[in-house]
Amino acid sequence: MPKLNLTRREFLKVSGASLFLAGLPLPGFTKDKPPGTISVIMLEGGMDGLTAVPPFGDPNLLKMRKGLTPDNYLKLNSFFGLHPSFQYFSGLMAKNNASIVHATNFPYTARSHFEGQNLMQGGGLSPFSETSGWLGRSLELAELPGRSLSLDMPLVLRGTDRNDNFYPASIRGSSSLKTKLIDMISMFHSKEGSSVFKKVSKKSTQKDSIVPRDPASLAKYAGKAMSQEGGPLSSVIKVTQFDTHSNQGADEFGKHGKLLKLVDEIIAGYREGLGDAWDNSIILTLTEFGRTVKENGTWGTEHGYGSAGLLAGGAITKSRVISKWPGLAENEQFEKRDLMSTIDYRSVCAACIEKSLGLDHDLIADKVFFTPELPRVYDYIFS
Amino acid sequence: MNEQFRIAHKLGLMFLQDTPLPENVKAWAISQLHVKSPALGIKRWKSNAKGKEWPKSVQPDLLTRDNMFSLYKYNRKREEMGLDGYTSEAAKRDNERKNLMGELDQLKFAHRNVYGDDQVKLRFTAFWANHFTTGNIWDNQNHIGHAIDEAILANLNGNFSHMLYKMTTHSSMLAYLDNCWSCGENSQEAKWAREDGQQAGLNDNLGRELLELHTVSPTAKYTESDIKNAANVLAGWGIWPGRITGDEELLSTEQRHKKLREMGGTINSWDFFKKHHAEPGTKRVLGKVIPAGKGGLKQLTNFLASHEHTINFISFKLAQHFVSDNPSKSDINYIVNAWKKSNGNLDQIHTAVIERAISSTEPKFQWPMTWLFQVVRLSGATYFKGWDEMDKYNQGIMEAREIFEELGQSFWHERQPNGYSSDKKEWLSGEMFERRIRFADAIYSKGYPYSTPDEIMDRIGANETTRSLVNSFTRKKDQFIALMCSPELMGLKNA
Repeated sequence: MPKLNLTRREFLKVSGASLFLAGLPLPGFTKDKPPGTISVIMLEGGMDGLTAVPPFGDPNLLKMRKGLTPDNYLKLNSFFGLHPSFQYFSGLMAKNNASIVHATNFPYTARSHFEGQNLMQGGGLSPFSETSGWLGRSLELAELPGRSLSLDMPLVLRGTDRNDNFYPASIRGSSSLKTKLIDMISMFHSKEGSSVFKKVSKKSTQKDSIVPRDPASLAKYAGKAMSQEGGPLSSVIKVTQFDTHSNQGADEFGKHGKLLKLVDEIIAGYREGLGDAWDNSIILTLTEFGRTVKENGTWGTEHGYGSAGLLAGGAITKSRVISKWPGLAENEQFEKRDLMSTIDYRSVCAACIEKSLGLDHDLIADKVFFTPELPRVYDYIFS
Repeated sequence: MNEQFRIAHKLGLMFLQDTPLPENVKAWAISQLHVKSPALGIKRWKSNAKGKEWPKSVQPDLLTRDNMFSLYKYNRKREEMGLDGYTSEAAKRDNERKNLMGELDQLKFAHRNVYGDDQVKLRFTAFWANHFTTGNIWDNQNHIGHAIDEAILANLNGNFSHMLYKMTTHSSMLAYLDNCWSCGENSQEAKWAREDGQQAGLNDNLGRELLELHTVSPTAKYTESDIKNAANVLAGWGIWPGRITGDEELLSTEQRHKKLREMGGTINSWDFFKKHHAEPGTKRVLGKVIPAGKGGLKQLTNFLASHEHTINFISFKLAQHFVSDNPSKSDINYIVNAWKKSNGNLDQIHTAVIERAISSTEPKFQWPMTWLFQVVRLSGATYFKGWDEMDKYNQGIMEAREIFEELGQSFWHERQPNGYSSDKKEWLSGEMFERRIRFADAIYSKGYPYSTPDEIMDRIGANETTRSLVNSFTRKKDQFIALMCSPELMGLKNA
């Protein structure tokens, strides 16, 4: 049994992140290997796209959010900058292995975390309409049995019966799992409980391994697992606490900046773990909404609409900032408070699924996002 | 299971081994709502220990908790400054041990649930503590346990509107959802700030969640204006956590109290309203006009507490938590009716939940923490340390904090304000189920259960499926794990 020995303070720091791996082909499975792997970093709480990727070319940026914009941003082009927390990501941009989509979101404007998170994971037409997630449905469509690595099963990965998960426990006084015992328990449960215990049983035949729980190590572990022959085809990492209503900060030492640094470390962890499999990989961020354009009264921001998405991986061969910039002037904002979203982020997810799992766009639009007319943005990202 | 244990599984935490079983289980469950609730626990870890009341010395009041945290920060500041007597490992540990309450409060919560005679009350307490989730940020590790005991448990027999007000104004909530930083755009404080070229103004986090999560829910179709007005009603409530000036140097306890009296006229953090931060003028939330001033909040929470959408939303949550994984329309309506008829009296609402949970034969899947308490109580194991042993490492017994962390469920996590789901689907994962097997193993191996699997099955009247599952093993430990992970005890369906 691995012993993690986390002190209280360390645990508080890392408890916000969890890792999920999915899409593990079963031995003897005959379908051709899909073209690549897809990984999702969920940024829970609402990432501030205007802080992460400041559009310094917009004259209203500094007028409205001086206290939230880093002075030392990295310059991407004549209009967009990159937060100084993204040191590693900026290197990937320079190597043409990363891109940004800006002024984008899922089509959801009611500003509730929980409805928004449900939509960004479920990919349904309205909050709580789906009991499965867009990635789970995609894996199911690609006929790829799955395996996930986590304590709970995030909605985004649900939707395929063939998922299971793995996340090493640290419970003193318990001995290793006994397959026969678990199989017997499984037999006495109805299908619902039984199918879950079967997954535990399968796990009991594998060796425990020690996985530190900080997000960068999780990403490295996930990348390594995905790089192996027969490894998972998909993984999900969740980072929480982006909901910075107060004292948001501007630079890499502020509340939001520290979280962006974590995202940067996760991407670096993936890169290291993936090794040669990097070339066929795509990693994308998800967040439920952006934040208000104007700073609020407590040096933070409220729930908004449009945000930015970060894409990285060897599947990208030309770095770009993909945006139809709506402007930040009050009459250009959504409801005079938020960055407008001009690109439906479901299209970005669809392009990443198309690239990594080899599914046809029309099929994804129809069966994964229930929106046959969903625009195809593949060429903007991958050509 | 026999009727007594079937009900204790759904609505309670199981009868301890020496407790006589009630004949009229419905009458018992309802009478549970009014039993006394001392914090029972054990001083030292030993097998078959009996619960006795926690001494007052380890249950500080709110003011003491606030003072402890400000002293903790004061010492930390001196540690950062590299001052003598503050930087050694021993001094740091001492500061944490003496001034932080998170570890002790989690142990007390566990003890209450394992040794308490008020099992039904404790289940309702957990439900409401989750409904009014507050996370472990800022100074909240000194507040969360207090909120659970004093804002929830202590108010279980009152009106929902009172509990709503007490939770909304508790420092645990005001810090967690940022309200303590907020001030009205037209407040005196905001004007002063503008004159100084500083920024001060509204934060709508608590205003939004008060509507979305604690009361009417999005079905009420409130607007951004309703949210902003609710935030304006709330502006002025709360103390800035840990420190109350923006100065480099932290204040001593005496200086802090002086400053608090200037700001809010009191040092009581549970009734703290800064009038200079309040938004002048009336506000309008979902059509209701709320007057300016400190009294406005009570009018708002009273209005929201009795709102049609609040009653429907929370009645559904209660039914899903206690009655069935898929509550029927009539399950929900039964609770809604009791709520309306009693104008939000929690005794009447809880009684309706109890009646409906008893009449429904549907199994109810139990949360990991509930299941763990039930396993410990059923078996008579000793699986938590004593309150006197916080600093003593125990080879076999984990800290309460570690146990909750490994279970994936703790009221002391940094977490989202929507709390843990009562929906079975959220908990169906291999890892979650593996934890049950491992904890059943650890409770058997290190907790030295008082009762054997056979004795437990006889006492609870285990069904035939459970008996044949358990009897397919010969080793007592395997039998124990199989019993605790049986469909019957997990609240799932048999094959």
